[in-house]
Amino acid sequence: MAKKISVYQVAFKNLLRKKTRTALTILGIGLSAWVLTSLFGFNRGYESALNKDIDNMGFQVLLTAKGCPYEAATLMLKGGTGLRYMSESVFADILKNEEVEKITPMLMQAVFDPNKGESGGISAYLGIDPATFPAMKAFLEFRQGAWFTAPESREAVMGYEAAELEQREVGDKILIPEMNIEFTVVGVLARSWTQDDGTIFVPIRTLQKDFNQEGKVTAVGIKVKKEANITALENKLYDLPDVQVVSMAQVKTTIMSLVSTAKVMVFSIALIAILIAMLGVVNTILMSVFERFQEIGIIKSMGAMPWDVFRMIWTETVILCLLGGALGIGISFGLAKLTDVLIRSLLPYTPTGSLVSIDGRLALLTLGVILAIGLLSGIYPSWRAARVRPLESIRSEGD
Amino acid sequence: MMRRIGHRRGAAILAALWLVAAPLLAAVGCELNDPDRDVRRLFPESTGYKTTYVSIARQGGEALLRQIEDRLGDKFQGLYETADVPYTMYQIYKGTELIGYIHGVNQKGQYGGIQVFLALDLAGTVRAFYYQKLTNREAKLLRDPAFAKQFVGLSLLDFEAYDPVSATARPGSKVAAIKNPAAGAEGDFKATLRAAKKNLILCDVFLIRPKTKG
Repeated sequence: MAKKISVYQVAFKNLLRKKTRTALTILGIGLSAWVLTSLFGFNRGYESALNKDIDNMGFQVLLTAKGCPYEAATLMLKGGTGLRYMSESVFADILKNEEVEKITPMLMQAVFDPNKGESGGISAYLGIDPATFPAMKAFLEFRQGAWFTAPESREAVMGYEAAELEQREVGDKILIPEMNIEFTVVGVLARSWTQDDGTIFVPIRTLQKDFNQEGKVTAVGIKVKKEANITALENKLYDLPDVQVVSMAQVKTTIMSLVSTAKVMVFSIALIAILIAMLGVVNTILMSVFERFQEIGIIKSMGAMPWDVFRMIWTETVILCLLGGALGIGISFGLAKLTDVLIRSLLPYTPTGSLVSIDGRLALLTLGVILAIGLLSGIYPSWRAARVRPLESIRSEGD
Repeated sequence: MMRRIGHRRGAAILAALWLVAAPLLAAVGCELNDPDRDVRRLFPESTGYKTTYVSIARQGGEALLRQIEDRLGDKFQGLYETADVPYTMYQIYKGTELIGYIHGVNQKGQYGGIQVFLALDLAGTVRAFYYQKLTNREAKLLRDPAFAKQFVGLSLLDFEAYDPVSATARPGSKVAAIKNPAAGAEGDFKATLRAAKKNLILCDVFLIRPKTKG
């Protein structure tokens, strides 16, 4: 009884006849698949890392007193204070909005310290409400100690880097220069990779009294209810007199637009890599078809139909793409951390979490894309093979 | 409406800058705030400098730490004085000729971190003493040039007999002659002497001895 020949077996054996060429083609497809998987992973990972950073701020909207945002930004970058104050009466106006879950007031104060550096520097203190701020920033962990023991205590909690710079531990004292005010450190935060790392927190009531700013705040953090319409809330907040609304959604949009240029460039490079891989596949299969011109003729003269030949060649393309795709996905998983480091060195701002997020679903998606590209690339060589005329091809052997 | 959009964009840029600025606040080790300016001030004849980063953990590990602690006469203490602290060493050049070193250390003070910088010649003798950071009610007195001048001309040899735990120096020695100008800042004065001794030991270990051996 004659054994039926499997088209897959024939295709696989054909590929093994030119091992080096097949290996190089698979490598080319693999590299393209690596770039593609990493890009898909970056596209997803960057946004989710940025969302996490924004969530870690504890609030989605920040209300500050109206002033020039650029001037305020400069002051913030220098660790200085906001220019203007808001009255605490603004709390009631904010809480009127149904979208608001809770708020936390903040008072930033800065003093000139003549003993910092050669010509002095600024020391900044953030007054926070012990009743609301820690709950809103639940992700903050302590390296030592805890939050303040009382709302009007003369106690300080230091961010990781602020404590390192000041060499402070729980029980140590800090002094507000030029004001002769001492605080006892009751907590040192673990590194959070946010601006909180460089901050010295003190109770807001104490800071208001010390700096004669009772009833005043420089910012209010607003946590919005889940499913609430943030844009609608922002529009309502804009109607409040003399306030400025800083939305974390806008922050995200701004940062995403900053990196979008880099993304477009990288996607363009990936597209070129995929096109090159595609041409490589077409070239490999087409060469294989030309080399087996007579062989295909003989197969057809033995009774194979054009569709059988088409399927055989197409299967070779699919095998190449599947192997290359699998290789590329394997590389992506193996080198995800390296890709992360590479992207971090290229982008002006990167969030703190993992920038490249690759999982099984993404791997399958990439494999699907590579397979689709392979099927597309295989059409022409397969069609050429299917069109081979048996007599012409066999006769050409003697030419 | 346009004004509102302008404000929104401005506010978004402000917050984005705030978010972007967070990593810039990082303070690691003890570096000169403005190396170009500070090097020129401490070594006016210099034409350039080279920065190298070393740590006890990387250079010699636990054995080196014990050796440094023995020479200091005190243990490394607390959360921040550890073997993996990165030390920034500045090697100062005049043309291609090495003419000296600058190095700073962090020292726990009464109200904050004290940053003590020493400028040394090739033999390890102090050319200049500089507080980059100091928080104290009497900081002005300690930052007075007359106080810094007392360290000029001293070397590790002078500090070897100084015990930072009891804060005592050999009677009649050059270190014993250093006067504290701020009676209310005795703690920070003692911390300064410990920082100066530790600084000189680190310079000897990482800069002077390797050059002598070479």
